[in-house]
Amino acid sequence: MSEANKETLKGRSIKMEGVHYTLHTPRVEDLENLYFVEVDPTICEGCGECSHHCPTGAIQEMNDGTRHIVDQAACMNCGQCLVHCPYGAVAERVSYVGEVLEKLKDPDTVVVSMTAPAVRYALGECFGLPVGSYTGGKMHGALRRLGFDYIWDNEWTADVTIMEEGTELLQRVKNGGTGDKPLPQFTSCCPGWIKFCESFYPDLIPHLSTCKSPIGMLGPLAKTYGAEQTGKDPKKIYTVSIMPCIAKKYEGLRPEMAASGHRDIDATINTRELAYMIKKAGIPFRSLADEAPDPVLGMATGAATIFGTSGGVMEAALRFAYEAISGKSLLDPSIKAVRTDNGINKVEVAVPGFGPVRIAVVSGLDNAAKICDEVRAGTSNLHFIEVMTCPGGCVNGGGQPVDPSVMEASVFKKMMARVNKRFTMRKMA
Amino acid sequence: MKKGRWDLSRRSFMKATGLACGYALVGARMARESAAAVLDMVGLRQASVYRSEADSRIYTYRKSQDNPMIKKLYATDGFLKEGPCGHHSHQLLHTHYTDKSRSIKALKKRGITLSL
Repeated sequence: MSEANKETLKGRSIKMEGVHYTLHTPRVEDLENLYFVEVDPTICEGCGECSHHCPTGAIQEMNDGTRHIVDQAACMNCGQCLVHCPYGAVAERVSYVGEVLEKLKDPDTVVVSMTAPAVRYALGECFGLPVGSYTGGKMHGALRRLGFDYIWDNEWTADVTIMEEGTELLQRVKNGGTGDKPLPQFTSCCPGWIKFCESFYPDLIPHLSTCKSPIGMLGPLAKTYGAEQTGKDPKKIYTVSIMPCIAKKYEGLRPEMAASGHRDIDATINTRELAYMIKKAGIPFRSLADEAPDPVLGMATGAATIFGTSGGVMEAALRFAYEAISGKSLLDPSIKAVRTDNGINKVEVAVPGFGPVRIAVVSGLDNAAKICDEVRAGTSNLHFIEVMTCPGGCVNGGGQPVDPSVMEASVFKKMMARVNKRFTMRKMA
Repeated sequence: MKKGRWDLSRRSFMKATGLACGYALVGARMARESAAAVLDMVGLRQASVYRSEADSRIYTYRKSQDNPMIKKLYATDGFLKEGPCGHHSHQLLHTHYTDKSRSIKALKKRGITLSL
């Protein structure tokens, strides 16, 4: 490693895939005081694009026209502000990349990779591949070359999630939604949505599935089941969660994420940070051959990979519930009616021996609020509701590569923002 | 008629209007394309997810309950032998949530208005 690189690793800020990151490994105790994203006032031109995309209104205008996040408590850490900023003024303030690189070099640490479904549908864009290219095989190959000891996959725990969350739903339906397990049941995979529900709709917490998210499950399984299967000491296992998301950094730090007797998730990075690490290591990503994950905690089904898009968790759960309720085989697994690109989608799915299963698929927290109001008012007759914070689901997550056209697009808008900023500066002076 | 600065010959008028129409069309198309590109990025990634999911060369199975490694985990001699939502599952894979509305109320008290 060159002298210059050593400096940047120790230093405060580096740029990865066009986004500024502060290399900072936080402590669990600091969780509620941490800002995961922040607007850099020296770069902000006050165009307001971030406020427009903020679902809670946490990004507000300052006296000088620049924007800032009013308080960590109001920010759901979704990062939609970051991926829509035309100036790259929104920065990430938590990055484990420095620590992960150190652990990869340490021969005494067993470093485990745990990649989310949506990462493999966007990672290729950082290497010049067309938007949406599937790069799962190359991704696993790149992780092996980076020195990860076990290539485990969050898609495997997406399948585990279906078994757990589907079974929970069947229990709630069987009991008629009585007691402390009411209907409808909400999905609990999305960390932005969970913080949103806890902050704005705490009375609906009993409706949330008690299941952890797929990464919340893979962390503890890696350090118990994984340790058992590989014969490794769980104390030496270092779990790296690789996500299309910024809010997953918050989730990984939650104090309760220690079910294995250790911290379940030691580090969380996102798609952009992984691309940076692959480039920095000089791995020829585009020419890598496809590789499979290590199967025991890595083998997955199509039902798992669709977790990465809005409607996917619902479709995967229905494939399970249909067969569990009716005892019949579902001949065509594609349940296209639930696939949702945006907004709110309510569907009834007929299940033999039960009748219609009433579901809703929601993405965007403004839409989630509408559904929550219905549930709160008691006017909802739904069984199961999927909520994703980012419009379209995780493929559009805040940790994904930024669309280059966001930076290049509106020349007119940029000019107006610059004129406005100069005007307010002069007015203040 | 008086001769003025903007008098154009028939030929140059055609040229000017032609150019203007051309620019208008190209401009409108470019604007539409750049707007579509932002929307399409999500659509393209979503379409790719469903294509891969149904591709048996990438995913042999399409239902979680058919995954051999899931069957191994929940087998009668497996790590989670009590099955989904069993005691061991609850210890490792289930969680609880905490009411965080107090901090939002505190913000409102400080006079901060959010969009909700």
